[in-house]
Amino acid sequence: MAGQSFKRSIDSVAGIYRFSEEIMAAADIDESVRFTVHLAIEELFVNLVSYNPGAEHDILIDVQVANNGVVVTIVDHDAAEFDVTKERPVDTGASLRERKPGGLGLHLIQHMVDTLEYDYRDGRSRIRFSKEPETRDV
Amino acid sequence: MFEIDYAENGEIVCSGRLDAAQSAKAEALLGRLDTSQTLDFERLEYISSAGLAILLKTQKRLSESGAALRIINVNKHIYDIFRYSGFNAIFEIETL
Repeated sequence: MAGQSFKRSIDSVAGIYRFSEEIMAAADIDESVRFTVHLAIEELFVNLVSYNPGAEHDILIDVQVANNGVVVTIVDHDAAEFDVTKERPVDTGASLRERKPGGLGLHLIQHMVDTLEYDYRDGRSRIRFSKEPETRDV
Repeated sequence: MFEIDYAENGEIVCSGRLDAAQSAKAEALLGRLDTSQTLDFERLEYISSAGLAILLKTQKRLSESGAALRIINVNKHIYDIFRYSGFNAIFEIETL
């Protein structure tokens, strides 16, 4: 897997953006796909860092392009178990008074990527998602 | 890179990428607001849930005194995020 490892820190977010943007720009990936991929990578990476801040291992991110789409794999060898495919309802229709900040990251990913897989064993989590350009009826 | 500052017309202009590493910069300014304000997102390229949380927190706090944020010049990608988040029902939003 031709990925890159990133220090498990929120400060890695800018470097992760540059890494993934370079790959997708070189392949002329559609802007809307790039936006979603950047968002999903950031949310998943921040999630891994936030839920296990004391861990030491870097987090590996691999970005592959194929047929105008993108497949991203994120591997954390020092992860707490947290199934990102499990639905955690956010009441997006609640009034302002009832809305609570937080929980939107996974909600957005689950609605915006095409596939999302999670595998956890022996302290290693592997998350894979894909995004392809939207097809429009003519 | 993310920047947030007042424009000459009194509106707050946001530009660049409002990601998790930059959200503290947004909170530092928005956390001081105590009246209704317009945010100009024309040059804001990206926002993640960390930025959304700051906007929501600010809107909730302002609403207690009858004030509100209005967000203008929102690009299509960010508007999609707002829609999926239900923000189009709790903010006044104008798209580009």
